[in-house]
Amino acid sequence: MIHKKRNKKSLFLFSKLIPLLFAVLILYPQSPVFAQKNLQPSSGDAFVTAEIGDARILIPFLADDSASSGLCGLIFNGLTKLDRDLDIVGDAAERWEVSEDGLVITFYLRKNIKWHDGYPFTSQDIKFTYDLIRDPQNGCPYISSYADIEKMDILDDYTIRFKYKKPYAPALLKLGMGIVPKHILQGQDMRTSDFKRNPIGTGPYKFKKWKTDEYTVLEANEEYFEHAPYIQRHITRIIPNQAIQFLELVAGSVDSMTLTPYQYIYRTSGPRFTKSFNKYSYLSHAYTYIGYNLEDPLFKDRRVRQALSYAIDKKEIIDGVLLGLGEICSGPFLKGTRFYNEEAEGYPYDIEKAKTLLGEAGWSDHDGDGILDKDGIPFKFKLITNQGNKARQDIATIAQRQLSRLGIKVEIQTIAWAAFLNEFIDKKKFQAVILGWTTPQDPDCYSVWHSEAAQEGGLNFISYKNKEVDELIVKGNTTFDVEKREAIYKKIHKIISVDAPYTFLYFPYATPAVSKRFRGIDPAPAGIGYNFIDWHVSPDERKY
Amino acid sequence: MRLVFKQKKIIFGLGLIIIMIALAIFAKFICPQDPYQINLGEHEKLQPPSFEHFFGTDDLGRDVFTRIVYGARISISVGFIAVLISLLIGVLLGAVSGYYGGKADWLIMRLVEIMLCIPTIFLILMALAFLGPSIRNVMIIIGLTSWAGLARLVRAEFLTLRERDYVLAAKILGASDARIIFRHILPNALSPVWVNATLGVGGAILIEAALSFLGLGVQIPTPSWGNILTDGIYYVDSAWWLMIFPGLFILTTVLSFNLVGEGLRDVLDPRLRK
Repeated sequence: MIHKKRNKKSLFLFSKLIPLLFAVLILYPQSPVFAQKNLQPSSGDAFVTAEIGDARILIPFLADDSASSGLCGLIFNGLTKLDRDLDIVGDAAERWEVSEDGLVITFYLRKNIKWHDGYPFTSQDIKFTYDLIRDPQNGCPYISSYADIEKMDILDDYTIRFKYKKPYAPALLKLGMGIVPKHILQGQDMRTSDFKRNPIGTGPYKFKKWKTDEYTVLEANEEYFEHAPYIQRHITRIIPNQAIQFLELVAGSVDSMTLTPYQYIYRTSGPRFTKSFNKYSYLSHAYTYIGYNLEDPLFKDRRVRQALSYAIDKKEIIDGVLLGLGEICSGPFLKGTRFYNEEAEGYPYDIEKAKTLLGEAGWSDHDGDGILDKDGIPFKFKLITNQGNKARQDIATIAQRQLSRLGIKVEIQTIAWAAFLNEFIDKKKFQAVILGWTTPQDPDCYSVWHSEAAQEGGLNFISYKNKEVDELIVKGNTTFDVEKREAIYKKIHKIISVDAPYTFLYFPYATPAVSKRFRGIDPAPAGIGYNFIDWHVSPDERKY
Repeated sequence: MRLVFKQKKIIFGLGLIIIMIALAIFAKFICPQDPYQINLGEHEKLQPPSFEHFFGTDDLGRDVFTRIVYGARISISVGFIAVLISLLIGVLLGAVSGYYGGKADWLIMRLVEIMLCIPTIFLILMALAFLGPSIRNVMIIIGLTSWAGLARLVRAEFLTLRERDYVLAAKILGASDARIIFRHILPNALSPVWVNATLGVGGAILIEAALSFLGLGVQIPTPSWGNILTDGIYYVDSAWWLMIFPGLFILTTVLSFNLVGEGLRDVLDPRLRK
């Protein structure tokens, strides 16, 4: 799944270099330069990364955008976390025990954790955090993941016991939410507290400075319980255009960015780039889709939705928009995990099948104007997406042309993000929409696919309601046996794929580039950022 | 009329405007290609200018020259229609205000002041947020927000002209107010209006480009100069032709309208006549 793209030449060089390196090390075992460069990372230097948009709120359970979540991940720790292979491991918790029936989880905390202001970290903070999350007044968007917690018992300063009302399989993963300090936040109103722009956590980096829409600075936490991170400062610069980011990257004022497909393929293969930068590509944990409002009479008929899915050529979209840097998606689970049903066929491009299905549903060009019609109503709909997302706009343009071959007229409208969510999505005032979902590690999809989530403001804004899927989702949530869960979610995948409430398009590749002076990067299923505290720069290459 | 054509500014500007309008009208004959034709082949996307594609191609393999020529239709029609709307409102309100004076004048002038207080671009952004972006809305909203200056100009002309003897004569002959306003005073008050309107067309084209650039104007995939320019910012480091050509067309068109406007002012304003 993960492959770091290197051209042949550097691969060749690399395979030659390693034996050479060993030879040198064996010959000069005390060589200080090599020891420093490759064996003993030392602390120093700064890492400057570029982001399109600024963070909004640095409280882990209120952060719902990727920029905020990214920073929160460096500042805070949860009870659990995901390791390089996306397995759940302890973070603030050293170990845990789950009762036979799955209802009780007891966490034993590490004893050497301190808040950035020197206070000891205890189980009080954990109870405090989850009480905040579960208080509807605080408006945590993830509140439904914690609704089944019956109570939390503090056994001592370093032991806490969670009791659930009913078995909840994603519990361990969900309890990875960052913990906030009780001694600072007690009695404060989360919405007005200045903590959200001035956070104190337990993580490897301390918050230092934030200049809105310009940059944020984090500083290494020398007392971090795993080990002090080697990179002294983590700086995020806000540069809202990837073309500009690229210019800054090449000029050396930025160390890392996410490349566009065009940059990845055409602008970064020359020796000038590969001399100073490594680029990576791996399947990102997100998919892009076209969703149909099932309350709209046009899309009520399953055959119509299936026809649209057949008529939209995903391969052409991936080649056109991502220059091939993506994989076709057929259902809502993370590709490459056991829950993704590779056997679900999805909808390979087939215009004839699409025509047949539409004909069966009563749509054909009766009046000969080139547009399908039924009962005198032409097949026309409005496809909306958010402004400023070039990939989605290009998808809209390509899909519009693909559907016009079928005699379907699509009108495109792009809308600014806030109005897009508040006025169109939340109120379900749309016909079809291009959007994306991130796919978490746990396949629980209650909040997107359960009919309960179809109320106004819920994430099931296309109003997908299928009793069988509802039952399976609840069953999947209360089943701990992985094999059984696998069967359940594969079935959900299959049903949703046949129902075609979305036209699933693709999983894009994440394509970061990082300056070569950073060593210790270890691409894995989790991406590259998971071991940031192990990244280091040898003293002779330091820039800052 | 002879004076008009003595002005080099006017001839130069008018010439360019006529070329642009010709491009817009005869787009089909000038560019046999379809401005919506997507070519996703590897050697079709983001191609630099060549004999096949004068202005190169964009990231979906569409011919930029064709899109710019078709974009002229949008930009120029937005310019003219928006100014037409603002002319209608501005002249009418200005005339009523200047001719009748009194309460009507007070009311209209306060309205004008309110309109002038709020920066036009914010007013337009607000209105578009409510009505949703489309070509038609952009035309109407630019028209509805840019009449205030014109109304003032017309009012000022009317204030002086209504005291003239020929107006008095018309009144004595029993002419109706409407007749006096439109037949007697207005034709004499039009010279500043023409100047203002010509400059206004350039301004409206600029606003349309800005709105489309922000994604609030003409919707994709309809080609407008602002839209093509927006595509360009994603490739600012690699495909210069996506920014330079639509930018040049906006510049040239707005410049030529401004030249004609200034030329007209020089001709029509007796104080500036040498």
